[in-house]
This record gives sequence, C-alpha cells and structure tokens, in this order.
Amino acid sequence: MSVTYIDAIREAQAKLLREDPRVFLYGQDIATFGGAFKATKGLAEEFPGRVYDAPISEDAMIGLAVGAAIEGMRPIVEMQFADFSSVAFNQIVNQAATHFYRTGVPVPLTVRLPSGGTPGSGPFHSQSMEAIYAHYPGLIVLTPATVTDAYHMLLDGVALDDPVIYCEHKFLYRWLKAKSINGEHLPIGQARITRPGKHATVVAYSAMVHEAIRAAERLHEEGGWEIEVVDLRSVKPLDLDTVLASVARTGRLLAVGEAFPWGGVTAEIVARVAAEGFHLLDAPPMRLNARDTPVPYHPKLWAAHRPTPESIAVAVRQLLSF
Amino acid sequence: MLRARVLENKLSSLYKAGKIVGGVYLGRGQEAVSACLGAALIPGKDVFSPLIRDQAGRDAFGESMLDCTRTYLGSVLGPMRGRDGNIHRGRPKNGMPAMISHLGAQVSVVSGMLFAKRQKGELAGVVGATCLGDGATSTGAFHEGLNLAAMEKLPLVLVIANNQFAYSTPTTRQFACGDLVEKARGYGVAGHVVDGTDLFACASVIGNAVKRAREGGGPQMVVAHLLRLSGHGEHDDASYVPDTLKAGHYGRDCLDVAMEQLIEHGYATAEEIRTWQDETAEEVQRAVAQAQQEPPPDAYTEDWRALSTRFS
Amino acid sequence: MPSVPILMPQLGESIAEATILRIDVAVGTPVRADQEIIEVETNKAVMGVTTLCSGIVSEIRCQEGVSYSVGTLLGLLEVTEEEVARTGVETMEAMEAKRAITPEPGSARAEANLHFGTQDDSYEEAPAVVPNIKGLPVPTGTMGAHYISPRMRARMDDLGLREADISAIAGTGAGGRVTVEDLERFIDYIETWPSSQASPMRLAVADAMRRSWTRPLATVGLPVRLDRVLDHRRNADPKPGLTLYLLRAFAIALSEDPASAGFLMGEKVVHPRAFDIGVAVQVDDGVVVPVVRKVDQKPLRELVAEYADLVDRGRRRRLTEADLKGGIATVTNFGTFGLTLGTPIPLPNETLILGIGAGVKKPVWSDQVEAFVPATEASLALTFDHRVVDGGGAGLLLKRISELLQKPEAL
Repeated sequence: MSVTYIDAIREAQAKLLREDPRVFLYGQDIATFGGAFKATKGLAEEFPGRVYDAPISEDAMIGLAVGAAIEGMRPIVEMQFADFSSVAFNQIVNQAATHFYRTGVPVPLTVRLPSGGTPGSGPFHSQSMEAIYAHYPGLIVLTPATVTDAYHMLLDGVALDDPVIYCEHKFLYRWLKAKSINGEHLPIGQARITRPGKHATVVAYSAMVHEAIRAAERLHEEGGWEIEVVDLRSVKPLDLDTVLASVARTGRLLAVGEAFPWGGVTAEIVARVAAEGFHLLDAPPMRLNARDTPVPYHPKLWAAHRPTPESIAVAVRQLLSF
Repeated sequence: MLRARVLENKLSSLYKAGKIVGGVYLGRGQEAVSACLGAALIPGKDVFSPLIRDQAGRDAFGESMLDCTRTYLGSVLGPMRGRDGNIHRGRPKNGMPAMISHLGAQVSVVSGMLFAKRQKGELAGVVGATCLGDGATSTGAFHEGLNLAAMEKLPLVLVIANNQFAYSTPTTRQFACGDLVEKARGYGVAGHVVDGTDLFACASVIGNAVKRAREGGGPQMVVAHLLRLSGHGEHDDASYVPDTLKAGHYGRDCLDVAMEQLIEHGYATAEEIRTWQDETAEEVQRAVAQAQQEPPPDAYTEDWRALSTRFS
Repeated sequence: MPSVPILMPQLGESIAEATILRIDVAVGTPVRADQEIIEVETNKAVMGVTTLCSGIVSEIRCQEGVSYSVGTLLGLLEVTEEEVARTGVETMEAMEAKRAITPEPGSARAEANLHFGTQDDSYEEAPAVVPNIKGLPVPTGTMGAHYISPRMRARMDDLGLREADISAIAGTGAGGRVTVEDLERFIDYIETWPSSQASPMRLAVADAMRRSWTRPLATVGLPVRLDRVLDHRRNADPKPGLTLYLLRAFAIALSEDPASAGFLMGEKVVHPRAFDIGVAVQVDDGVVVPVVRKVDQKPLRELVAEYADLVDRGRRRRLTEADLKGGIATVTNFGTFGLTLGTPIPLPNETLILGIGAGVKKPVWSDQVEAFVPATEASLALTFDHRVVDGGGAGLLLKRISELLQKPEAL
C-alpha cells in the first residue's frame, strides 16, 4: 500500500471539498475526465457542483477565481501546465497579488501549477515558474518535494487568506511514493533538513531535493563526505533561518534549482546568505541551475539541461575543494 | 449625471491647477449611459465594476463623492489609502471591485463574483455589471471573460461605451465588424444597441438589459454609441477628434439633451435644474475642500506589507 | 490678505515642463474659481492652467513664450479668508510654514537635478565617460596560502587569534590555504595538550611584542669595557645600578642626536620632546617598563632614588599608568640573567631599545703594553626600527654610549 505524490494532491482536494463548502475547483478537463494528470479523478462525481471544466481561458479562469475569492470562496484553479499560466500572468500578478495591498481585501485563491520537466515534455510543458511569481509582492509560492508535503501544504495553502501559487512537480507525480502520508508536518514558511551533514549545505526544492540526496549519497560513498540537504518547501516565504543555521554548521553552500539561471530562487538564496551569513562562509556561495536555454525536447538534451545527481556532485566537489 | 459632470469639471480644474498628481480620466459625454446603468443596479445586492469614465454610474450606485475626491487628492482616509489612485478605486466587499489598469480584466472578476454567489445559492435576482470602451473589446481578457460568462450563463451586463476613440485610436483601427453588437451573437449572448447621448433611450434600453439579466436571460451586451467629449485623460487635448464628429449627432452633449428632455417631458423646470446645479456645486466644493484638508499617507507609519498573512 | 500660489501643473505622467502660450490675465484682474487663466503647451497637448479659487491676481511671475518646469510659481492670487475656508485651498503662508518643517516636493526634484548637476530640470547627455579617478588596487583573486575566508576571520576573532597564531597550522584548502576545518582540527589537537590560561600580563606583553614586530627591526652590537664604571660604582654612595649608568649614557647620546630616537608616523618623523627613557623590569609573568623622566638633565646621583622607587613599585605591581607613559626609548639589562648576547625588541611605540649583557672578564689586547690585559667586557645591543634609523646611525650611537661609559664621573 503506497501513496504517490499525485494521490496526495487528490486526497487533499477531496478533503477540502468534503469539509469546506467555500472550496471549488476550476480547470481544464478536471471534471469527468479527472484532469490531464488525473489529479482530480473521481472528484466531480463525488462532489457534484464543485468541480468545473474551464474553457481554455487562463486569464478568465484566474479573473473568475479573484472575483469568487472577493465573495469569500476559496477556489483552486488547476493550470494544465505551469507553462500556460503565462496567459494568466496579468490576472495573477496585477489583479490577485495587488488586491490586498490596494483594497485591504485578501484574495484566498490557490493556483495549482504542474511544473518541472519530464523526458520529452519540451519547452512548453516543463517550466518552473516559482521565481517569476515569487518576484511579485503579495503572492505565496509553495514547492512541495515530498508526498506528505504535497498533501499538507495544499491544505495549509488553501487555508491561507492570501493567493497561493502551488508548484507541484510533474515528475514526482507518480515517481515519488511514500508508505503513507505523515500526520506530522511542518508549517508553511519552515524549511526541512532532509539529510544532515557537516561538510557542505545543498539547498534545493521540489524535485531537485531528490537529486541532491542522490548526489549526497554518492559523495558519501566515494569520499565519506557528509553533505547536508535542505528542502526549502516554500520559496516564498523563504526560510532563511534554517538555511543560515545549516551554513553555520557546514561553512559551504550550494543552491540547486531546476529553473533558468538568471535571477532564480537560487540567486535569491545566495544573495541572502552572502549578505546575512558572510561570516559563516568558508567558500564562496554557489548555485546550480538548468542551462540558460529553453527546456529542450529530446530526452538526451533534456537530461543534460537540468541539474542531475552527477552534476550536483561535481558542483559540490568543487565547493569542497575550495 | 449632473453631479458627475460638476465633480469632474472640478477634478479637471484641480488637475490643471497642479493639485492632482497622476492621471485624471473623465466621463464627459458618457454620463447618460453610466448613470442609467448605476441606477438600474441595486446597491448591497448587485455587483458593479466601474471603469474609467463611470463617475455618474458610481454616483448612482451609491459611491460617496468623498471616495472620489479623497482618492484623487491623495487623502489617506480614502478607500485605497494612497496605495492606488484616481479611478482605480473601489470597495470590493460592497460589490464595487477596484479596477486594474489592464482593460478587459474586470469582466472575468465580476463573472467570478457572480459565480461565487451562485455557489452559495445567493444568485437569484442578482446582476453583475461592468463597462468597457470600444478599445477594450480588442483585448484577450475581454474575449475570455465574456466567453466564460456566457458559457457559465451568468447574469452579467456588459455595457460597451463606443465613444469612437481609444485614446487617439479611432475604431477603424480597433475592429473590423460593423457594429460591436454583432459580437454578441458570436458569444451567444443578447445584444442591445442604444444612442448614448439620449438619456431617456439609455434608461429604457439599459434598464431593460439589466432586467433581463436579473430574470435569468444570461449575459447582456449593451453597445452605446456616443462621442468622448474630453481627452483620453486630462493631459490629452484630443486634438485628433475631427470637428465633423463633434458636430454630428453623437457629438451632442448628453447632459444638454437630458436637460431638454426633462423639461420637455415635464419632469423638471429650468428653475429646478438651476437649483440642482447650485446644490451640486456646493456639494462638490465641500467634498473637495474636506479631502484637501485631510492628511496624505505617511511613508514612515505605513504598513508596508502585501500579504495579509504574518509568517513568524 | 492671504495669497494663493498659481503653480505649473503636471499635465501628463512624463511631462516635466510646459511652455506659456498666452497669459489671459493681468495684475489686478479678478478671477473665479476653476477659471483657465494661462494657456500652456506640453509636447502632448495645449491646456489651460486653472485657478483653485476666486480672487484677484496680485503677481505674475512668468512670461509668454518661455518654458517652465512643473511646480514653478507662475503667479499669485490675493484671496479672502472666507474663500480660503470655503475651498480648503492651501495658501502661500501655509506652504511656507510647512516648508520650514518638511521639504517641498519641488525640492525633491531639485535634489534629483543636483544628481545630474543642472539648474533647469534637464541635463546634457554626457559623452562617454573615461574613468579617471584612481580606485582601489584590484587583487588578482587567486586564493593562495594566505587567504583567510570570512568564516576563518570570524572564528579567529572569536578565539582571539591572530594570523601569527595560526602560522603553526598546515592548510589543506586550495593553494594551501588554512580552512576552517583545519583550524578546528588544530584547536581540537591543542585541546589534548595540557594548557593554562594566559595571564593578562602575558597577553599584554604578547600584544605589544606582536605589534612591535610588524616593523623591520635590526640589531647591532658593540663590546664595551666596564672597568671604569665598576671602579666608580665601588666608590659611590649610594650605589647606582649598572643599568642607571647605561640609562644616563643613552640619554646624553640621544640628546646630542634626537632624530635617532624619532618615531615614524606615516610620512613624519616625530621627535622626542623630553628624554624620558624606560627601563625594562622583569616581573612574575612578564615585563613592565616604567619611565624615568628627563634623564638627560639629571646627573646620576639624582636618578638613584627615582630609579629605585620605580623598580620597586614595578616589582610590586604598583606602577600607575602615568609611570608607564611617554617614554622615547628603553633600556634593558639582560646581563642580570647571566646572558651575554641578546636582540631585545623595542616597545611598539618606540624606535630604539638598548640592551646590555653580563660583564665577562677576558683578555683584551692593549696597544699600550703590547700584551693581552685582563678587562671586564659586556656586549651592548641596540635594536632599532630600520625605517627610521640605519646601521650607521645605530653604530654611531653605540660608539658614543661606549665613550660616555669610559667617563662615569661625568654622568
């Protein structure tokens, strides 16, 4: 008996629909069809009148969600792929994100973004957009890496009064299995030490947490290195305290992200650690991202585009040899 | 209408005296359309998302004149508390969402508010309305919003004030269909056309459209024909509007037409209208004077947060 | 009567100025509220500047055909108190009072223009600027054995360590640098050795010596015959210590060439104001250096009591801060430990230290009798800061001191 990451997302939505009459789901193909990834399978039947098929109108889907949230509802909008949310960009960053600041009325909507690459998904079905949304004040950006977090962070996110961008990783949907969903979980805003260590800190989020752990295990086998891995869990708010505490233990930092390199989440981490933890660093803080090109289609190219356990290990080795 | 006109004339004057920073957008020429929409809606029940030339509608829907003067004159006591200005104001919890600058975006927001009311079982007899200009009908947001409202069969009233110019762009550079109302058919919604300069016609057509939406007739598109009688904003002198248009039928000032109509049909005497004008001037003056004397926001005591949640 | 300003409005979001096309009023013209009185042109449109209230034009401060920036005072209206109250308009007087407390919005613009260095709200685009201000020298950034990371620095600060302290550690980092891990390993290693806490005296001496050592120090030596001094001393009452003879000789020699005791501060050599010379006194866990005042001006017998008191108080740790300040050079007698040779280190704020070793009886060649004769010799060592003094100067000083010591009765 095991629970996949996508099972957890479905379970969380089922629980929300069951217990909170303010919640409804709006997305393309999510009703009878159950969603492109089956994240909402069976929910339209179980909760009639709560799960709607949207037209291909990402802008209007978010506008509708904003209006509904103003009226006190808690809509969850599923974007079929994170990549398509760019059509809704205006409504997300100018309507939803500014609403509380401008009017004092918070907008408790949640946007689920199936994010990240899978082999062959290509440039428009692979993007990781957390940095772009985190850039705008007024949004919360979540990036769960585990089955338990996929479940609990969606519940916690919907309970927040502010707009939440929930970046779920497509690769983890079925690849990541847990025996069960833990009852205990950390609150939003707290990062987790996934693997304790002392020689270097690797900060990652979402699917990269798993790649970082494999890199850490490899380094342990080959050189006895103890690499600490920190799972950010939420990109915004960013738990700098946990990251600094880790760098305080190890003196060395590598931030790893699947997104494009320019100004990403990893840049934010490095900037903050350099500024506030300068005296903790025994080596320059480093980052590793995808290459500075659109995400390629061919699986061979794709595999070389994003960080892998091998490339993470290389970066950590460089860091250790400073 | 009169209150909107007098107030906006005053705003224009304040702008040209250097008292207002940012933009001033007037609804001169659109008062009949806007007022009739606002008057047909029920405050406390309906939703109204006014756009940039809807002072008359706001007034008819019950927005206080102080909300307008405070927002324009930068008083921290206004509904936006200095964080947004001029026509970007609203009171979302009172059924009047605050617009963002991107045109067309409010259509789906009003639709969402109606959708939510339906979910809550509170939609019976409720109408949601917003206004657009001819230019905004070109936006993707307009298309997506109206299409979605139509598909969801929401009681949305969309009033398109075709004032023939989007800033300096004439409608020949905006769309290729004959009359904008033809789009209603494409979206599967009811369409209405009205002479925007004629108060009585507006009251009838717009009132009817609102009634039909209220009775479950689905989205209603009203296209009103008129001419913008001001610049796009008060920084613009609209010198590109040809004199022929100004002299034509739609170039008539709806306020003048309305006054004639009211007198002609015995609803008011010239004397009464003059009294209204004086009372309105007084009220506007008081609202302006009060707002000018109120404090602006203070950057040092301002709560600089964009999230309502406090993370520890 | 209050006056209300007529200001150039901001007629568009990126508009910075407008040109006056026509002024429709003159001084004395009565105006209503909301009346357009001045026609201006921006690059977008022709607009009318409008009055805020009714009044009488009292001043016109602009001209047709001229361009004025946003916020400029174009004229003034004389307005009644009632009108001010009715319209809520801000008068010149009220604005001036506010300006006394807060800066005008106009001044923010003025500050912005100061940045570009203009007076009239616009600036000339400068041609490409060639940087001609000498900046900091740029390090190559190659991390070598001496590289100390921010964390190392922080850790060293915490532990009170200096670079000298970590010179014992072999670095395993890139280029042989000492990493924080190396440091922690070293500290753990040291922890396994028996240790005791350094006393404040020890730490003070350590700090002084470390600071002194940052200079290029050199030592020159000269053997000196002590027989005359020893004879003089045998017959003297009270008996001056040998150090005191040395002190006097040193002071006299220095007073003849004060520059040699000069102290280098940047590009200046600071000369002694008085020949106050310190004497090194060994105490329990360190050294103290009380200062004997104006040694050049007092003959030997006058110094005996002062010297004895300072040494005594030094040993009993009863010296005050004043006793230790102001010395321009130091004398140390390491001969009392039986040492014949030494390279003493000057105090960090002094250029010279003169040391003397133990007297040793030895055969010395005499030209007079053309044979070896017995004599008591001690070696004099002068350590000096080579930035101020050279070997030649140091040599001359030592020779003079030796000379003076052959005539102890004149000291």
